[in-house]
Amino acid sequence: MSERRRIEVLGPGCTRCKETFRVVQSVVEQAGVDADVVKQESIERMMELGLLSTPGIAIDGKIVFSGRIPRVEDVRQALGLT
Amino acid sequence: MSADAETAPAARTSLTAPAAAWRARLLALLGVGAAALLYTRLERIAVFLTYDLGGLARGSHLGAALAFFLFEVPKVLLLLTAVVFVVGVVRSWVTPERARQLLAGRREASGNVLAALLGIATPFCSCSAVPLFIGFVTAGVPLGVTFSFLVSAPMINEVALVLLFGLFGGKVAGLYLATGLSVAFLSGLVLGRLNLERHVEPWVWKIRSGSSVTASEKRFADRVADGRAAVADIVGSVWLYVVLGIAVGAGIHGFVPTNFMASFMGKGVWWGVPLAVLLGVPMYSNAAGIIPVVQALLGKGAALGTVLAFMMSVIALSLPEMIILRKVLRPTLIAAFVGIVAAGILVVGYLFNAVM
Repeated sequence: MSERRRIEVLGPGCTRCKETFRVVQSVVEQAGVDADVVKQESIERMMELGLLSTPGIAIDGKIVFSGRIPRVEDVRQALGLT
Repeated sequence: MSADAETAPAARTSLTAPAAAWRARLLALLGVGAAALLYTRLERIAVFLTYDLGGLARGSHLGAALAFFLFEVPKVLLLLTAVVFVVGVVRSWVTPERARQLLAGRREASGNVLAALLGIATPFCSCSAVPLFIGFVTAGVPLGVTFSFLVSAPMINEVALVLLFGLFGGKVAGLYLATGLSVAFLSGLVLGRLNLERHVEPWVWKIRSGSSVTASEKRFADRVADGRAAVADIVGSVWLYVVLGIAVGAGIHGFVPTNFMASFMGKGVWWGVPLAVLLGVPMYSNAAGIIPVVQALLGKGAALGTVLAFMMSVIALSLPEMIILRKVLRPTLIAAFVGIVAAGILVVGYLFNAVM
Protein backbone atom coordinates (compact mmCIF):
# COMPACT_ATOMS: atom_id res chain seq x y z
CA MET A 1 0.00 0.00 0.00
CA SER A 2 1.47 3.38 -0.97
CA GLU A 3 2.12 5.91 1.77
CA ARG A 4 -0.09 8.94 2.19
CA ARG A 5 1.86 11.84 0.71
CA ARG A 6 2.31 15.16 2.40
CA ILE A 7 1.85 18.28 0.32
CA GLU A 8 2.85 21.62 1.81
CA VAL A 9 1.80 24.91 0.30
CA LEU A 10 4.35 27.44 1.49
CA GLY A 11 3.79 31.15 1.83
CA PRO A 12 3.47 33.90 4.44
CA GLY A 13 -0.26 34.24 3.99
CA CYS A 14 -0.79 36.65 1.14
CA THR A 15 -3.58 36.22 -1.39
CA ARG A 16 -1.33 34.42 -3.89
CA CYS A 17 -0.47 31.76 -1.33
CA LYS A 18 -4.12 31.25 -0.43
CA GLU A 19 -5.03 30.92 -4.09
CA THR A 20 -2.24 28.37 -4.57
CA PHE A 21 -3.59 26.37 -1.64
CA ARG A 22 -7.04 26.41 -3.20
CA VAL A 23 -5.73 25.20 -6.57
CA VAL A 24 -3.71 22.36 -5.01
CA GLN A 25 -6.59 21.28 -2.83
CA SER A 26 -9.05 21.16 -5.71
CA VAL A 27 -6.66 19.14 -7.90
CA VAL A 28 -5.99 16.68 -5.08
CA GLU A 29 -9.71 16.25 -4.44
CA GLN A 30 -10.68 15.89 -8.09
CA ALA A 31 -7.88 13.46 -8.89
CA GLY A 32 -8.49 11.51 -5.72
CA VAL A 33 -4.83 11.64 -4.72
CA ASP A 34 -4.08 10.14 -1.32
CA ALA A 35 -2.41 13.13 0.31
CA ASP A 36 -2.59 15.65 3.13
CA VAL A 37 -2.53 19.24 1.95
CA VAL A 38 -1.30 21.71 4.56
CA LYS A 39 -0.68 25.44 4.54
CA GLN A 40 2.81 26.22 5.78
CA GLU A 41 3.56 29.76 6.90
CA SER A 42 6.75 29.10 8.85
CA ILE A 43 9.80 30.89 7.50
CA GLU A 44 12.06 28.28 9.06
CA ARG A 45 10.40 25.53 7.06
CA MET A 46 10.66 27.59 3.86
CA MET A 47 14.37 28.06 4.47
CA GLU A 48 14.87 24.42 5.34
CA LEU A 49 13.47 23.46 1.97
CA GLY A 50 15.36 26.18 0.15
CA LEU A 51 12.34 28.14 -1.04
CA LEU A 52 13.16 31.64 -2.25
CA SER A 53 10.08 32.95 -3.99
CA THR A 54 6.63 32.36 -2.66
CA PRO A 55 4.24 30.73 -3.17
CA GLY A 56 5.82 27.30 -3.20
CA ILE A 57 4.64 23.71 -3.27
CA ALA A 58 6.56 20.88 -1.60
CA ILE A 59 5.69 17.19 -1.83
CA ASP A 60 7.15 14.97 0.89
CA GLY A 61 9.75 17.56 1.75
CA LYS A 62 10.88 18.44 -1.76
CA ILE A 63 10.08 21.67 -3.57
CA VAL A 64 8.31 20.92 -6.85
CA PHE A 65 7.00 24.34 -7.80
CA SER A 66 7.58 27.94 -6.82
CA GLY A 67 7.35 31.57 -7.81
CA ARG A 68 3.78 32.04 -8.96
CA ILE A 69 0.23 30.73 -8.65
CA PRO A 70 0.21 27.33 -10.33
CA ARG A 71 -2.29 26.39 -12.95
CA VAL A 72 -4.14 23.11 -12.64
CA GLU A 73 -1.76 21.55 -15.20
CA ASP A 74 1.27 22.62 -13.13
CA VAL A 75 -0.08 20.89 -10.04
CA ARG A 76 -1.02 17.78 -11.99
CA GLN A 77 2.45 17.65 -13.50
CA ALA A 78 4.04 18.06 -10.06
CA LEU A 79 1.95 15.21 -8.70
CA GLY A 80 2.98 13.01 -11.61
CA LEU A 81 -0.56 12.79 -12.90
CA THR A 82 0.06 13.80 -16.51
CA MET B 1 -17.15 -2.21 -23.28
CA SER B 2 -13.95 -0.61 -22.02
CA ALA B 3 -12.02 -1.32 -25.23
CA ASP B 4 -14.57 0.60 -27.29
CA ALA B 5 -14.52 3.50 -24.84
CA GLU B 6 -10.76 3.80 -25.24
CA THR B 7 -10.66 3.68 -29.03
CA ALA B 8 -13.78 5.77 -29.67
CA PRO B 9 -12.31 9.16 -28.67
CA ALA B 10 -9.24 8.56 -30.84
CA ALA B 11 -11.41 7.85 -33.84
CA ARG B 12 -13.33 11.09 -33.32
CA THR B 13 -10.20 13.32 -33.54
CA SER B 14 -9.94 14.80 -36.99
CA LEU B 15 -6.34 16.04 -36.70
CA THR B 16 -3.19 14.20 -35.68
CA ALA B 17 -1.28 15.70 -32.77
CA PRO B 18 1.47 17.49 -34.82
CA ALA B 19 -1.12 18.97 -37.19
CA ALA B 20 -3.16 20.23 -34.27
CA ALA B 21 -0.04 21.88 -32.84
CA TRP B 22 0.61 23.67 -36.15
CA ARG B 23 -2.97 24.85 -36.29
CA ALA B 24 -2.61 26.25 -32.77
CA ARG B 25 0.57 28.09 -33.78
CA LEU B 26 -1.09 29.52 -36.90
CA LEU B 27 -4.06 30.73 -34.90
CA ALA B 28 -1.72 32.29 -32.34
CA LEU B 29 0.21 34.06 -35.10
CA LEU B 30 -3.01 35.39 -36.66
CA GLY B 31 -4.15 36.55 -33.24
CA VAL B 32 -0.92 38.43 -32.69
CA GLY B 33 -1.15 40.02 -36.15
CA ALA B 34 -4.72 41.13 -35.54
CA ALA B 35 -3.78 42.58 -32.16
CA ALA B 36 -0.88 44.50 -33.68
CA LEU B 37 -3.15 45.93 -36.38
CA LEU B 38 -5.72 46.92 -33.79
CA TYR B 39 -3.00 48.61 -31.76
CA THR B 40 -2.20 51.02 -34.56
CA ARG B 41 -5.85 51.97 -34.95
CA LEU B 42 -6.64 52.52 -31.27
CA GLU B 43 -6.40 56.29 -31.13
CA ARG B 44 -8.63 56.69 -34.16
CA ILE B 45 -11.16 54.26 -32.68
CA ALA B 46 -11.18 56.10 -29.35
CA VAL B 47 -11.72 59.47 -31.03
CA PHE B 48 -14.48 58.01 -33.19
CA LEU B 49 -16.27 56.45 -30.23
CA THR B 50 -16.07 59.58 -28.11
CA TYR B 51 -16.89 62.34 -30.54
CA ASP B 52 -18.66 60.81 -33.52
CA LEU B 53 -20.58 58.03 -31.84
CA GLY B 54 -20.82 59.51 -28.36
CA GLY B 55 -21.72 62.95 -29.62
CA LEU B 56 -19.45 64.78 -27.19
CA ALA B 57 -18.11 68.16 -28.20
CA ARG B 58 -14.46 68.33 -29.17
CA GLY B 59 -12.55 70.36 -26.65
CA SER B 60 -14.95 69.50 -23.84
CA HIS B 61 -13.60 68.21 -20.51
CA LEU B 62 -15.60 65.00 -20.62
CA GLY B 63 -14.65 64.40 -24.23
CA ALA B 64 -10.96 64.77 -23.49
CA ALA B 65 -11.21 62.49 -20.48
CA LEU B 66 -13.22 59.81 -22.27
CA ALA B 67 -11.07 59.78 -25.41
CA PHE B 68 -7.97 59.47 -23.21
CA PHE B 69 -9.53 56.58 -21.31
CA LEU B 70 -10.76 54.70 -24.39
CA PHE B 71 -7.40 55.06 -26.09
CA GLU B 72 -5.12 54.26 -23.19
CA VAL B 73 -6.89 51.26 -21.65
CA PRO B 74 -6.71 48.87 -24.63
CA LYS B 75 -3.34 50.25 -25.66
CA VAL B 76 -1.71 49.67 -22.29
CA LEU B 77 -3.36 46.27 -21.79
CA LEU B 78 -2.25 45.03 -25.21
CA LEU B 79 1.30 46.25 -24.65
CA LEU B 80 1.37 44.73 -21.20
CA THR B 81 0.13 41.34 -22.40
CA ALA B 82 2.75 41.17 -25.12
CA VAL B 83 5.67 42.09 -22.91
CA VAL B 84 4.60 40.06 -19.88
CA PHE B 85 4.37 37.03 -22.14
CA VAL B 86 7.85 37.50 -23.59
CA VAL B 87 9.38 38.20 -20.19
CA GLY B 88 7.48 35.26 -18.71
CA VAL B 89 9.19 32.99 -21.19
CA VAL B 90 12.60 34.55 -20.49
CA ARG B 91 12.02 34.19 -16.76
CA SER B 92 11.86 30.45 -16.99
CA TRP B 93 15.64 30.74 -17.34
CA VAL B 94 16.32 33.41 -14.70
CA THR B 95 14.95 32.24 -11.37
CA PRO B 96 15.68 33.54 -7.87
CA GLU B 97 17.50 30.27 -7.19
CA ARG B 98 19.83 30.87 -10.12
CA ALA B 99 20.29 34.49 -9.06
CA ARG B 100 21.33 33.32 -5.62
CA GLN B 101 23.80 30.86 -7.12
CA LEU B 102 25.30 33.58 -9.26
CA LEU B 103 25.59 36.07 -6.42
CA ALA B 104 26.84 33.88 -3.56
CA GLY B 105 30.25 34.92 -2.33
CA ARG B 106 30.65 37.77 -4.80
CA ARG B 107 32.74 40.77 -3.88
CA GLU B 108 31.16 44.17 -3.53
CA ALA B 109 30.90 46.43 -6.59
CA SER B 110 30.79 43.63 -9.17
CA GLY B 111 28.27 41.82 -6.98
CA ASN B 112 26.15 44.96 -6.67
CA VAL B 113 26.10 45.46 -10.44
CA LEU B 114 25.12 41.86 -11.07
CA ALA B 115 22.48 41.95 -8.34
CA ALA B 116 20.92 45.11 -9.75
CA LEU B 117 20.82 43.56 -13.24
CA LEU B 118 19.44 40.25 -12.03
CA GLY B 119 16.74 42.08 -10.11
CA ILE B 120 15.26 43.29 -13.36
CA ALA B 121 14.78 39.82 -14.71
CA THR B 122 13.54 38.27 -11.49
CA PRO B 123 9.89 38.34 -10.51
CA PHE B 124 9.17 39.86 -7.16
CA CYS B 125 6.23 39.81 -4.83
CA SER B 126 6.44 41.72 -1.54
CA CYS B 127 5.65 38.56 0.35
CA SER B 128 8.76 36.97 -1.11
CA ALA B 129 10.94 39.65 0.46
CA VAL B 130 11.61 37.74 3.65
CA PRO B 131 12.37 34.26 2.25
CA LEU B 132 14.42 35.89 -0.47
CA PHE B 133 16.41 37.98 1.98
CA ILE B 134 17.12 35.08 4.31
CA GLY B 135 17.86 32.71 1.47
CA PHE B 136 20.37 35.11 -0.03
CA VAL B 137 22.28 36.13 3.09
CA THR B 138 22.49 32.61 4.48
CA ALA B 139 23.83 31.38 1.17
CA GLY B 140 26.73 33.80 1.39
CA VAL B 141 25.47 36.71 -0.68
CA PRO B 142 26.89 39.87 0.95
CA LEU B 143 24.35 42.10 2.71
CA GLY B 144 24.90 45.07 0.40
CA VAL B 145 24.57 42.92 -2.70
CA THR B 146 21.30 41.51 -1.36
CA PHE B 147 20.02 45.04 -0.91
CA SER B 148 20.91 45.95 -4.47
CA PHE B 149 18.75 43.04 -5.52
CA LEU B 150 15.93 44.02 -3.18
CA VAL B 151 15.82 47.56 -4.57
CA SER B 152 16.09 46.59 -8.20
CA ALA B 153 13.59 43.73 -8.27
CA PRO B 154 10.37 45.57 -7.42
CA MET B 155 11.32 48.88 -8.98
CA ILE B 156 12.63 47.82 -12.35
CA ASN B 157 10.30 45.30 -13.82
CA GLU B 158 8.93 44.75 -17.25
CA VAL B 159 5.54 46.17 -16.32
CA ALA B 160 7.04 49.53 -15.38
CA LEU B 161 9.33 49.62 -18.41
CA VAL B 162 6.58 48.68 -20.83
CA LEU B 163 4.22 51.27 -19.48
CA LEU B 164 6.85 53.97 -19.52
CA PHE B 165 7.80 53.05 -23.06
CA GLY B 166 4.19 52.94 -24.20
CA LEU B 167 3.24 56.23 -22.60
CA PHE B 168 6.43 58.28 -22.78
CA GLY B 169 8.65 56.66 -25.34
CA GLY B 170 11.97 54.86 -25.34
CA LYS B 171 14.07 57.71 -24.00
CA VAL B 172 12.17 58.01 -20.73
CA ALA B 173 11.98 54.25 -20.31
CA GLY B 174 15.71 53.96 -20.94
CA LEU B 175 16.48 56.72 -18.46
CA TYR B 176 14.29 55.10 -15.82
CA LEU B 177 16.14 51.84 -16.36
CA ALA B 178 19.55 53.47 -16.14
CA THR B 179 18.80 55.59 -13.09
CA GLY B 180 16.92 52.78 -11.36
CA LEU B 181 19.92 50.51 -11.79
CA SER B 182 22.18 53.25 -10.46
CA VAL B 183 20.03 53.74 -7.38
CA ALA B 184 19.96 49.98 -6.80
CA PHE B 185 23.70 49.65 -7.31
CA LEU B 186 24.74 52.62 -5.20
CA SER B 187 22.35 52.08 -2.31
CA GLY B 188 23.46 48.46 -2.04
CA LEU B 189 27.09 49.50 -2.22
CA VAL B 190 26.72 52.14 0.49
CA LEU B 191 24.69 49.87 2.73
CA GLY B 192 27.29 47.16 2.33
CA ARG B 193 30.10 49.52 3.33
CA LEU B 194 28.27 50.54 6.48
CA ASN B 195 28.69 47.00 7.84
CA LEU B 196 25.23 46.81 9.28
CA GLU B 197 25.22 43.03 9.61
CA ARG B 198 24.64 43.30 13.35
CA HIS B 199 21.33 45.04 12.63
CA VAL B 200 19.92 41.99 10.95
CA GLU B 201 17.78 40.02 13.37
CA PRO B 202 20.12 37.44 14.99
CA TRP B 203 17.88 34.45 14.35
CA VAL B 204 18.37 34.90 10.61
CA TRP B 205 22.05 33.97 10.81
CA LYS B 206 21.22 30.78 12.65
CA ILE B 207 19.06 29.40 9.89
CA ARG B 208 20.38 26.51 7.92
CA SER B 209 19.32 27.16 4.38
CA GLY B 210 18.85 24.19 2.14
CA SER B 211 19.24 24.51 -1.59
CA SER B 212 16.26 23.35 -3.53
CA VAL B 213 16.66 21.16 -6.55
CA THR B 214 15.33 23.20 -9.43
CA ALA B 215 14.41 21.70 -12.77
CA SER B 216 16.64 23.56 -15.20
CA GLU B 217 15.80 21.29 -18.07
CA LYS B 218 12.49 22.46 -19.45
CA ARG B 219 11.05 21.86 -22.84
CA PHE B 220 10.37 24.97 -24.86
CA ALA B 221 6.66 24.19 -24.81
CA ASP B 222 6.82 24.39 -21.02
CA ARG B 223 8.50 27.79 -21.24
CA VAL B 224 5.75 29.03 -23.56
CA ALA B 225 3.27 27.72 -21.02
CA ASP B 226 5.17 29.72 -18.39
CA GLY B 227 4.72 32.81 -20.55
CA ARG B 228 0.99 32.25 -20.83
CA ALA B 229 0.75 31.56 -17.10
CA ALA B 230 2.63 34.80 -16.44
CA VAL B 231 0.09 36.71 -18.54
CA ALA B 232 -2.82 35.10 -16.71
CA ASP B 233 -1.13 35.77 -13.38
CA ILE B 234 0.27 39.29 -13.83
CA VAL B 235 -2.18 40.86 -16.27
CA GLY B 236 -4.96 39.08 -14.43
CA SER B 237 -4.04 40.70 -11.13
CA VAL B 238 -2.95 44.07 -12.46
CA TRP B 239 -5.55 44.97 -15.08
CA LEU B 240 -7.96 46.53 -12.61
CA TYR B 241 -5.21 48.80 -11.24
CA VAL B 242 -4.36 49.78 -14.80
CA VAL B 243 -7.97 50.64 -15.58
CA LEU B 244 -8.39 52.57 -12.33
CA GLY B 245 -5.08 54.33 -12.80
CA ILE B 246 -6.05 55.33 -16.33
CA ALA B 247 -9.45 56.47 -15.10
CA VAL B 248 -7.78 58.76 -12.56
CA GLY B 249 -5.36 59.87 -15.25
CA ALA B 250 -8.26 60.53 -17.62
CA GLY B 251 -9.98 62.64 -15.00
CA ILE B 252 -6.85 64.68 -14.42
CA HIS B 253 -6.27 64.94 -18.16
CA GLY B 254 -9.77 66.15 -18.89
CA PHE B 255 -10.67 68.26 -15.90
CA VAL B 256 -7.60 69.64 -14.19
CA PRO B 257 -6.47 72.94 -15.67
CA THR B 258 -3.21 72.87 -17.57
CA ASN B 259 -0.22 73.91 -15.49
CA PHE B 260 -2.11 73.38 -12.25
CA MET B 261 0.54 70.90 -11.18
CA ALA B 262 3.31 73.28 -12.11
CA SER B 263 2.61 75.30 -8.99
CA PHE B 264 3.81 72.62 -6.62
CA MET B 265 5.29 69.90 -8.78
CA GLY B 266 6.89 72.02 -11.44
CA LYS B 267 10.52 72.75 -12.06
CA GLY B 268 10.59 76.09 -10.35
CA VAL B 269 9.88 74.71 -6.90
CA TRP B 270 13.00 73.34 -5.20
CA TRP B 271 11.02 71.44 -2.62
CA GLY B 272 8.94 69.63 -5.27
CA VAL B 273 11.25 66.61 -5.46
CA PRO B 274 11.63 65.97 -1.70
CA LEU B 275 7.89 66.41 -1.30
CA ALA B 276 7.23 63.89 -4.05
CA VAL B 277 9.58 61.34 -2.45
CA LEU B 278 7.98 61.85 0.97
CA LEU B 279 4.50 61.47 -0.48
CA GLY B 280 5.53 58.25 -2.14
CA VAL B 281 6.82 56.43 0.93
CA PRO B 282 3.52 55.67 2.67
CA MET B 283 1.82 54.96 -0.62
CA TYR B 284 2.06 51.70 -2.36
CA SER B 285 1.02 50.79 -5.81
CA ASN B 286 2.39 48.56 -8.44
CA ALA B 287 3.78 50.20 -11.52
CA ALA B 288 0.66 49.52 -13.55
CA GLY B 289 -1.56 51.66 -11.43
CA ILE B 290 0.71 54.60 -10.86
CA ILE B 291 2.12 55.25 -14.32
CA PRO B 292 -1.10 56.40 -15.96
CA VAL B 293 -1.50 58.86 -13.09
CA VAL B 294 2.07 59.96 -13.68
CA GLN B 295 1.32 60.61 -17.33
CA ALA B 296 -1.65 62.79 -16.52
CA LEU B 297 0.33 64.75 -13.92
CA LEU B 298 3.03 65.37 -16.48
CA GLY B 299 0.48 66.62 -18.94
CA LYS B 300 -0.57 69.21 -16.38
CA GLY B 301 2.82 70.75 -15.91
CA ALA B 302 4.49 68.61 -13.28
CA ALA B 303 8.21 68.27 -13.91
CA LEU B 304 9.48 64.92 -15.19
CA GLY B 305 12.07 64.50 -12.44
CA THR B 306 9.59 65.19 -9.68
CA VAL B 307 7.06 62.81 -11.09
CA LEU B 308 9.57 60.01 -11.68
CA ALA B 309 10.88 60.47 -8.14
CA PHE B 310 7.33 60.11 -6.89
CA MET B 311 6.84 56.96 -8.91
CA MET B 312 10.07 55.35 -7.75
CA SER B 313 9.28 56.24 -4.18
CA VAL B 314 5.82 54.71 -4.37
CA ILE B 315 7.09 51.46 -5.86
CA ALA B 316 10.48 50.95 -4.25
CA LEU B 317 9.75 52.27 -0.78
CA SER B 318 6.53 50.62 0.13
CA LEU B 319 5.32 50.67 3.70
CA PRO B 320 3.86 47.16 3.47
CA GLU B 321 7.22 45.80 2.36
CA MET B 322 9.03 47.60 5.18
CA ILE B 323 6.61 46.09 7.66
CA ILE B 324 7.24 42.66 6.21
CA LEU B 325 11.01 43.18 6.32
CA ARG B 326 10.76 44.11 10.01
CA LYS B 327 10.73 40.39 10.66
CA VAL B 328 14.32 40.10 9.57
CA LEU B 329 15.75 43.60 9.84
CA ARG B 330 16.10 45.80 12.89
CA PRO B 331 14.63 49.33 12.73
CA THR B 332 18.09 50.89 12.34
CA LEU B 333 18.75 48.88 9.22
CA ILE B 334 15.29 49.55 7.80
CA ALA B 335 15.82 53.27 8.43
CA ALA B 336 19.22 53.11 6.72
CA PHE B 337 17.70 51.26 3.80
CA VAL B 338 14.83 53.73 3.37
CA GLY B 339 17.09 56.72 3.88
CA ILE B 340 19.72 55.70 1.38
CA VAL B 341 17.27 54.65 -1.31
CA ALA B 342 15.24 57.84 -0.77
CA ALA B 343 18.44 59.87 -1.13
CA GLY B 344 19.22 58.09 -4.38
CA ILE B 345 15.74 58.80 -5.69
CA LEU B 346 16.08 62.46 -4.68
CA VAL B 347 19.27 62.74 -6.72
CA VAL B 348 17.54 61.13 -9.69
CA GLY B 349 14.65 63.55 -9.38
CA TYR B 350 16.85 66.65 -9.31
CA LEU B 351 18.98 65.31 -12.11
CA PHE B 352 16.01 64.74 -14.39
CA ASN B 353 14.60 68.18 -13.65
CA ALA B 354 17.93 69.78 -14.41
CA VAL B 355 18.64 67.85 -17.57
CA MET B 356 15.28 67.30 -19.25
